[in-house]
Amino acid sequence: MRGNRTTTSCALALVLTLAGTLTGCGGDGGGGSGGKVSLRFTWWGNPDRAARTEEAVKLFEQRHPDIDIATSFAGFDTYKAKLATQAAGGDAPDVMQLDYRQINQYATSGILLDLGEHPELRTSEIDKGLLATGVVDGRQYALPVARGTETVAYDAALWHKAGVPEPTLTWTWNDWADAMRKLSASKATQGRVGSTDPGQSEDVFEIWLRSRGKALYTKDEKLGFTADDLTRYWEWCTKLRKEGAVVPAEQTTQMDGTVENTPLGRLKSVSDFNWDAPTSGYAPIVGEGLKLAPLPVGEDGTPGQYFKPSMFFGASAETAHPKQAAQFIDFLLNDKKAGAILGATRGIPANDAIRQDVLPKLEGFDQVISTYQKQFEGKLKDPPPAPPKGDASLQSTFSRDYDQVAYERMSPREAAENYITEAKAELRQ
Amino acid sequence: MTTAPITTAPAARRRPTGRIVLHICLIAMLLVMLYPLAWLLATSFKPADEVIASLKLLPSHFEWGNYSTALDGVNEVSVGRLLWNSLLIACGAVLGNVISCSLAAYAFARLRFRMRGPLFAFMIATIMLPHHAILIPQYIIFNQLGMVNTYWPMILPKFLATDAFFVFLIVQFMRGLPRELEEAARIDGCGPFRSFFSVILPLTRPALITTAIFTFIWTWNDFFTQLIYLFEPEKFTLTLALRSFVDASSQSAFGPMFAMSVFALLPIVLFFLAFQRFLVEGMASSGLKG
Amino acid sequence: MTATATRPPDAAPPATGGKRAAKRERQGAAWVFLSPWVLGAAVLTLLPMAVSLYLSFTDYDMFDAPRWIGFRNYTQMFTEDPRYWRSVITTLTYVVIAVPLQLLLALAVAIALKSVKRGKGFYRSAFYAPSLLGASMSIALVWRAIFNDGGSVDNLLSGMGIDIGGWINKPGWAILSVALLTIWQFGAPMVIFLAGLQQIPAELYEAAAVDGASWWRQFRSITIPMLSPVLFFNLVLQMIQAFQVFTPAFAVSAGKGGPADSTLVYTLYLYDRGFTASHMGYASAMAWALLLAIGVVTAVLFRTSRAWVFYANDNNEGAR
Repeated sequence: MRGNRTTTSCALALVLTLAGTLTGCGGDGGGGSGGKVSLRFTWWGNPDRAARTEEAVKLFEQRHPDIDIATSFAGFDTYKAKLATQAAGGDAPDVMQLDYRQINQYATSGILLDLGEHPELRTSEIDKGLLATGVVDGRQYALPVARGTETVAYDAALWHKAGVPEPTLTWTWNDWADAMRKLSASKATQGRVGSTDPGQSEDVFEIWLRSRGKALYTKDEKLGFTADDLTRYWEWCTKLRKEGAVVPAEQTTQMDGTVENTPLGRLKSVSDFNWDAPTSGYAPIVGEGLKLAPLPVGEDGTPGQYFKPSMFFGASAETAHPKQAAQFIDFLLNDKKAGAILGATRGIPANDAIRQDVLPKLEGFDQVISTYQKQFEGKLKDPPPAPPKGDASLQSTFSRDYDQVAYERMSPREAAENYITEAKAELRQ
Repeated sequence: MTTAPITTAPAARRRPTGRIVLHICLIAMLLVMLYPLAWLLATSFKPADEVIASLKLLPSHFEWGNYSTALDGVNEVSVGRLLWNSLLIACGAVLGNVISCSLAAYAFARLRFRMRGPLFAFMIATIMLPHHAILIPQYIIFNQLGMVNTYWPMILPKFLATDAFFVFLIVQFMRGLPRELEEAARIDGCGPFRSFFSVILPLTRPALITTAIFTFIWTWNDFFTQLIYLFEPEKFTLTLALRSFVDASSQSAFGPMFAMSVFALLPIVLFFLAFQRFLVEGMASSGLKG
Repeated sequence: MTATATRPPDAAPPATGGKRAAKRERQGAAWVFLSPWVLGAAVLTLLPMAVSLYLSFTDYDMFDAPRWIGFRNYTQMFTEDPRYWRSVITTLTYVVIAVPLQLLLALAVAIALKSVKRGKGFYRSAFYAPSLLGASMSIALVWRAIFNDGGSVDNLLSGMGIDIGGWINKPGWAILSVALLTIWQFGAPMVIFLAGLQQIPAELYEAAAVDGASWWRQFRSITIPMLSPVLFFNLVLQMIQAFQVFTPAFAVSAGKGGPADSTLVYTLYLYDRGFTASHMGYASAMAWALLLAIGVVTAVLFRTSRAWVFYANDNNEGAR
């Protein structure tokens, strides 16, 4: 597998070499000057993450005067396009932050280094269930950095005013729907509706599926659900939308991934489904009342929720310095000082020892998030393996197909069948 | 054509009342047009919870913190550095486009050579292919040339006249110049090079200024190329830094992003104000028509 | 600006006998002047274009080697992809709205500015100001706020008794808000119109005024015909750019092309296929289909231009 992409870029380069001035294939891989090894490290995130990462990198460079780390970052959406272009151009950075959905594609196309072969990189303190999500074809291509889980963020103050009981650990999807109906109907919410429409979110759908004993993908990388399952989910969402329990299509369509542009962020609803890490963004908008609740469980009590690796670190298969890359990843994941500097800026750490150190020191809303996660300790099922190659665009296909339902251009059944057809084509089934 | 008379349009000769009505119409239209800009400016002073959620023009109170956050720079890179990088790229691009496009345009407009027709048609066709389609092959080329994470991918193409839009624009200007100019120059013993530099180029100044202004603005705002090719934050531009305030997977800083947008706008506004005079008056004294 | 853009203008007169050396020198000189362009066109344009043409016949996911599949991408595009045709229709809608309105506005303002004596520079700069912005993320957020439910436009229209609601979240209206962003930035065509207007000889208007022609009459019989080459130039270039519209649609819909795919214009869908779904082969096929379509439209425009574009100093072009 590994040779494929190299062949591609060589083949393209060969065509391009006609100009005469071009050099051979592969580049120098970031050789560095004056005996110094230089590594390129890319990740996505915001300025706060940048400041902390830079500080940790400086500490690493102090300890390893022979290694020079050049870091770079971008926002998530642009990062994906940038990394794909670099990878396609045979120029993947030495160390890169990766998303769950990128692992399979990057690993099977030979872009990632097998980190299992590098003893410098210790994995003993990392949660076993999470660690397994970075394994493809039996090789450890990426290591989980932090874990996150889905949550229902809500304005508890308004729920109180509306007289709706606060969520419990075991509330079911029906309990959730009832609460949303009451919230929308109550005068206390002043026209704001209960929740974001879960129909647009593949993430929520996955948890709904798991709470019914199914999954997005099977172990052999096929679709784990049928058009009937999806129809049922979207019909349920459509019913809630028409009842006014969740926001109408006009609100859903304005979501762009940032918390500020969710219905809760725009003060159009009183709760929202989201991952736990970004929920701190609601704090300045919602105010004191902001709380986190677990996702509803199945009617028989099956939880769908799981700890998901929120991001990974991986190294390029073509790096000139695999040893140093492994050392650097080890430092970021396992070093106590690095852990103290980085805190929860990439989510609650996946390393058990570091997590114990970091948790008490968290400030502000991060403390709320860590308490939220703590209540699930040992109670959740293992996460599913990394989504199969071809899944990359299915998340947006999902919300796009539901958009057609929400604007009543397709019935839930039509849209569900449409999605299944597209998904099968993407997964090459 | 060289000395187009300063004309007075029919409306200008109307009565003063007509002129006042005209001014009123223009100002009314400007108010509508500048409203979104006012919004942009006002938003840069809004506190975090109002940037997106509030649909009112004015902030509840002025939040100067947005500007101080923005002016702190991004990822330990100062705003001055970002500004310098942006200027470097924009000025390099302007220089490249003005030189290379005028050279190519002169050949297409005033010289005869074999294959001129097909080459000209090819040049026009290159405007029509969406650039996303050639992004990856181009990336591979620049990577093979060892130019990734340098400013060359943004500047070198300009020195090689790849912006066919401007070649075409300058060609159209040069076609308006009377042929006798070169005839006279040739009789005086000037070769094509001398007549290009001493006769044609000075007369094409307005087209070159148009090229310079458009190139500056478009390069300044060109987010995608900068994103793909630049790696180290020390090499980032203002346009690129703007985006790092917003990240879908964590908390965003929309307020400082607006403040930074206003700041990033200043240099292009100044550039435009400095050169807009030449833009139209210059054009009038030369030929735009064929 | 003449309409004969697809073929190069006739340059120097044919070399007369005994001037062969001079001709050869000019041939050589031409290639010297062209050399940067030739290098750039070959390495940075032709090669990538050739690669993308090749990729359009392959299944290429940006990671594994391209696999030759013949015309499969093209047949899939034309016969099996409803979203593709929706994006074509969306783009055509956009072109039909944005191009004429932008040109009309640019022309109207340019004509008005020509009659203005005081504050010319101020007006010119102020009308150009929106064009300085491009379609950055901040202007996109401003646009979404103004055209949202309860935003400025909604309030204004409700005040006049027209109740549309937010434009950006209504499938029929969202593309209009995208088009308005383009129309709003009419600075470039305006500047070119201004330049064209300066070229019209004053004597023509003076003669017409002596004949007692009305303003409208003068506009129709002098301004429009004399300006037609510039009008044509703007029309062609704005048309080409409009077919490739990307940034305003990307910005206003946050890259999604929503609501309900109503702003999923051609290149936005191309970007989605290429970079989000990693179907670079398919995206390349889309790019080439677009190139051919724009080529045809441009050719048709050039054909029809003979009927309405008027050339004043038409001594050697032969187009009439």
